[in-house]
Amino acid sequence: MEALKNAVNFSDFPRSDLMIVGAVAVGLFSFPLFPHSSFAMATMIQFLMFSLYGMGWNTIGGYGGQVDLGKAQYVGIGAYTTAVLLIRWDIPFWVSMPIGVVLAVTWSFIIGYPLFRLRGHYFAIATIATSLVLKDLFEVWDFVGASYGLEISPILYTSPDFLRLFFREDVYYYYILLGFFFLGILYINWFRKSRLGYQLRCIKDNEAVARSLGINVHLAKVKTYAIATGFVSIMGSFHACYIKNIEPEDTMSLDLSILIALMAMLGGAGSLWGPIIGAGILIPLKSYLKDWLGATAGLMGIDLVIYASIIMLISATEPRGIWGLIERVRRRGSK
Amino acid sequence: MLDILLSSLVAGLLFGSVLALVALGLTIIFGVMDIVNFAHGEFLMLGMYTGLISAEATGLDPVLMLPVAAFVGFVLGVVCYSGFIRFLLRGPMIAQLLGTFGLMLLLRNLALLIFGPEDRAVMSGVLVGRSFDLGMGVIIPATKLAAAGFSVLAFVGVWLLINRTRLGKALKATSLNAQGARYMGIPTEKMNALAWGIGGASVMVAGAILVNFWSVTPFTGLLFTMMAFAIVALGGFGSVPGAFFAGLVVGLITELPGFWDFVTYTFEVEWMYDVPMTSFKYMWVYLAYFLIMVMRPRGLFGWKL
Repeated sequence: MEALKNAVNFSDFPRSDLMIVGAVAVGLFSFPLFPHSSFAMATMIQFLMFSLYGMGWNTIGGYGGQVDLGKAQYVGIGAYTTAVLLIRWDIPFWVSMPIGVVLAVTWSFIIGYPLFRLRGHYFAIATIATSLVLKDLFEVWDFVGASYGLEISPILYTSPDFLRLFFREDVYYYYILLGFFFLGILYINWFRKSRLGYQLRCIKDNEAVARSLGINVHLAKVKTYAIATGFVSIMGSFHACYIKNIEPEDTMSLDLSILIALMAMLGGAGSLWGPIIGAGILIPLKSYLKDWLGATAGLMGIDLVIYASIIMLISATEPRGIWGLIERVRRRGSK
Repeated sequence: MLDILLSSLVAGLLFGSVLALVALGLTIIFGVMDIVNFAHGEFLMLGMYTGLISAEATGLDPVLMLPVAAFVGFVLGVVCYSGFIRFLLRGPMIAQLLGTFGLMLLLRNLALLIFGPEDRAVMSGVLVGRSFDLGMGVIIPATKLAAAGFSVLAFVGVWLLINRTRLGKALKATSLNAQGARYMGIPTEKMNALAWGIGGASVMVAGAILVNFWSVTPFTGLLFTMMAFAIVALGGFGSVPGAFFAGLVVGLITELPGFWDFVTYTFEVEWMYDVPMTSFKYMWVYLAYFLIMVMRPRGLFGWKL
């Protein structure tokens, strides 16, 4: 009960923020009611997915300050679990998703335990290695379709199928994802005020102090890593049902790991709204730039050049991301 | 049997020395200013294009283009440092990672925009297509031998620069304690720029050599960034001799699976047929890198510069 109360309690944010959040929430709910292109819908779904990935990453990377660049391997574990279970044994999403989470979290304990002996750059680089090892294994593993991956056949199931999450219209996916999105926000809101959340922030600021206060630093990091993994793995399972065609290259690549971390870092790591802002800016920017400049004008790569320039500009001028920028402007305003 | 083993050992050592040259720049940059440069492979890719295009434009042999690549690399390194990386150093680690990712994306996609996505390779040159037969079934392509030679030369050069000159001492001082070095009147900003310059030059030279036997696309960089990270981790972050030996080790790790497969097929080990070791060859590198990171974060050879 206490936890629930904490989760829905946003009173430490200024009222103006909450009004913006409310407006955005109403906007998100009513978005499918307005006329929209299917491209806009796909972009919105991408945005929701990446804000959830980012929220997961934000627990360990933002609140904990451990820059993790290997999150894609858990997307892969989630996606493959769901796809394999559905294709081979016709097990629906709502059963395979928890199984995926259990598998991913178990794997995260196995590699998290040695990983967290490292710090800073060393940790970041080692996480990349673990992700690449797993990806290379999946690329030769016949059971999961090796490098061709798996395809969930669209003719086997009737739409709409709420158990297997199989729909022809994206709207269903959108609303289910929106549900996950709000649950995710509530969970992170609870998490940041939980005991573990405070411990993590202490660890981020000064590990020696955290240890002297009696915090089991290693355990706290491993636990948070598992939480982040759970988030990402759930989205991986969803990805399998939504995309229906999974390959090691799109579910486990380094690019995906980087993109996940990028959303949260750019929006503002270690803040509740950061990953959402990051995804809300980057995903539409990316897909529309690609659509306008890449496809229409025929200039391959120019979309990502602009995108990269924005990332560079923000990292050089405001290291705490867009949320840091907002806070700085606000502080100046109040003076 | 033995000849196959021998030739894969030789191939591993030759390729390893090129990989070592790729990693040299990364280890210098990390050693001097503790920053992880994710754009490193993209520098390599640009070096490959520089070698290729300048050779095509002048009609000279690609090997003669090494000084051009070194010059372009030095300039690019210094420009990147003073135009961008300098501002990242003030921020936390997270901003540095983000920034070098940005740089990586920028360089890769600029290359895509300018050069297009096609595979390109050097078609002619004094080295291309020639090889030496050492007997015992060991055949060394001239390109790889020359590459290994240049790599050793570059390592000796950088080692001498760091250990035998005043400039090198200043670099070393900056890497050990930047603030202390500043008090001693060493212009640490210039030293950082110099480290990026040397790093850029060495990796672009590596690219200009590599392009003689490796085709280039704008996406070539990533694999080599990862290889370079593995080498730097194995050799110890910031250690120049370490990078060389670790490069050889990684070269062997990537070439020996081929020998393993040969054994599989000769002795008809049937259960191994489905999983040819060559398809795992980079995985062994990543695995070695993970294990070394976890067990010995300082690397096998250990200390800065």
